Amino acid sequence: MAGNFWQSSHCQQWLLDPSDLVRERQVDFAVVTEEDYQKLFIFFSNFIQVLGEHLKLKQQVIATATVYFKRFYARNSLKCIDPLLLAPTCILLASKVEEFGVISNNRLITTCQSVVKSKFSYAYPQEFPYRANHILECEFYLLENMDCCLVVYQPYRPLVQFVQDIGQEDLLGLSWKIVNDSLRTDISLLYPPYQIALAAMQMACVVLQKDGKNWFAEIAVDTDKIQEITRQILALYDLYKTYDEKKEIQGLLAKMPKPKSQPSRPPSSAQSQDGIQGTNDQSMGVNN
Amino acid sequence: MQKYEKLEKIGEGTYGTVFKAKNRENQEIVALKRVRLDDDDEGVPSSALREICLLKELKHHNIVRLHDVLHSDTKLTLVFEHCDQDLKKYFDSLNGEIDSDQVQSLMYQLLRGLAFCHSKNVLHRDLKPQNLLINKNGELKLADFGLARAFGIPVRCYSAEVVTLWYRPPDVLFGAKLYTTSIDMWSAGCIFAELSNAGRPLFPGSDIDDQLKRIFKLLGTPTEEAWPGLSQLPDFKPLPMYQPPSSFSQVVPKMTAKGRDLLQKLLLCNPALRLSADEAMAHLYFNDLHSSIKSPTT
Repeated sequence: MAGNFWQSSHCQQWLLDPSDLVRERQVDFAVVTEEDYQKLFIFFSNFIQVLGEHLKLKQQVIATATVYFKRFYARNSLKCIDPLLLAPTCILLASKVEEFGVISNNRLITTCQSVVKSKFSYAYPQEFPYRANHILECEFYLLENMDCCLVVYQPYRPLVQFVQDIGQEDLLGLSWKIVNDSLRTDISLLYPPYQIALAAMQMACVVLQKDGKNWFAEIAVDTDKIQEITRQILALYDLYKTYDEKKEIQGLLAKMPKPKSQPSRPPSSAQSQDGIQGTNDQSMGVNN
Repeated sequence: MQKYEKLEKIGEGTYGTVFKAKNRENQEIVALKRVRLDDDDEGVPSSALREICLLKELKHHNIVRLHDVLHSDTKLTLVFEHCDQDLKKYFDSLNGEIDSDQVQSLMYQLLRGLAFCHSKNVLHRDLKPQNLLINKNGELKLADFGLARAFGIPVRCYSAEVVTLWYRPPDVLFGAKLYTTSIDMWSAGCIFAELSNAGRPLFPGSDIDDQLKRIFKLLGTPTEEAWPGLSQLPDFKPLPMYQPPSSFSQVVPKMTAKGRDLLQKLLLCNPALRLSADEAMAHLYFNDLHSSIKSPTT
């Protein structure tokens, strides 16, 4: 969907407050540090990215899958569903919603297996453990936990418009990459996509030494927000300077909070059956 | 499912059976659309997902409301507001007579629902009387968004097999791949004529050729001058050059001159020239529309 971000479920239900995130993550922060948590999410964002690229998905679909992933864990602990299962589920759902053709489950599982083997064996030396039935079941919980809000606005389209408007097309490549990098932070849960696009473009101006001052001065935008976004992206780049994922990730994954039994039913389903006697239907709470 | 008491089967939707049911908690009557999860390995069917995600974004008086989504191990149930009948059943109850105020009111509501969808960049793509619901207050609601899609930058071609033949515009019949809102405006024009004729479909074609011939017999066979790019359409084929009758008055005998003018501006073969939903709502035909319909109370 293009216009009308302001009336969208994304704007009305899924722009969160930083304090919401901190509160919801307390369970996980009791087990891993905040920095470990961030590193785990960087890892799984990369996993979604690589998986999407192997499936030849457009960046828009990959970005939507990544936002689904973040939305789920913004409301749930890592021990609710193994992120290694949720990641391909997000890809499946996003590819259907964004209408880039349905990926067959078979192809999805095969791709997961080969990607884990060829690209992520430093993290997962064993075979990818999940099968189609796990993903299909997981899809329900993902839908439910996102309150069926499936339309996600991405910064890419506003970015293209802004770059055209400022008249410096050579900013696009770098700004686009910065937007991609921003998917490894919480930014997509906290700020509207147009602000993310502006922050990325402003950073690209600085790096490429382009003068965008007048243009930025003329648009009425909350510069504090743009700076907050910029700070978070810079913090990510700072982290990368000292972080060696290949060395650390196995340790982090070992520490990560996990579902009690895996791979099996995600615990949220077990709870729902306990909660409502005599029925295994559960409301997904599509509120009006 | 304990929450709802199933009353009767209403029909078969794009991807599953529809039941009338009662909410045990507040006695509200709803429509339950059961989504079959076939064992082909797609998971939740794309058409159901599309309907869920679009209706989450489309909340409007003239668009059917999605109250809830229920799930169990193997099925998904969408809970919709219930409407008493669809436009097709309404036609069947008319015995060939319809009040002209009613035509005007229903057409206006159809356009208003469409204008809202289009303002959100959503195409319905499958408008037909079966997908227009009418409740007992005479309110019309667009339903069955299983084939609808959100659109933006045309990222790829959409599948060709989308619209029920009778309401399909000539550009789509000639294989045009990039649909725009004009696809819905043609369908709205066909439904407008059908309303005025108390349920007699305007172009009940039996196949694509027959459908095109019926259209061109009424509107005249379009030429490259009137419709630049026509002969480049993927499935274009030359058809006999029909001369249009001088007036629509025999086609829609009950319609006023203003109504016929609106109809002609919707049923234009060249999609670029068709009125938009907003333009159609501003047409003179609606000048004497009752104010209670123009601004609904809720």
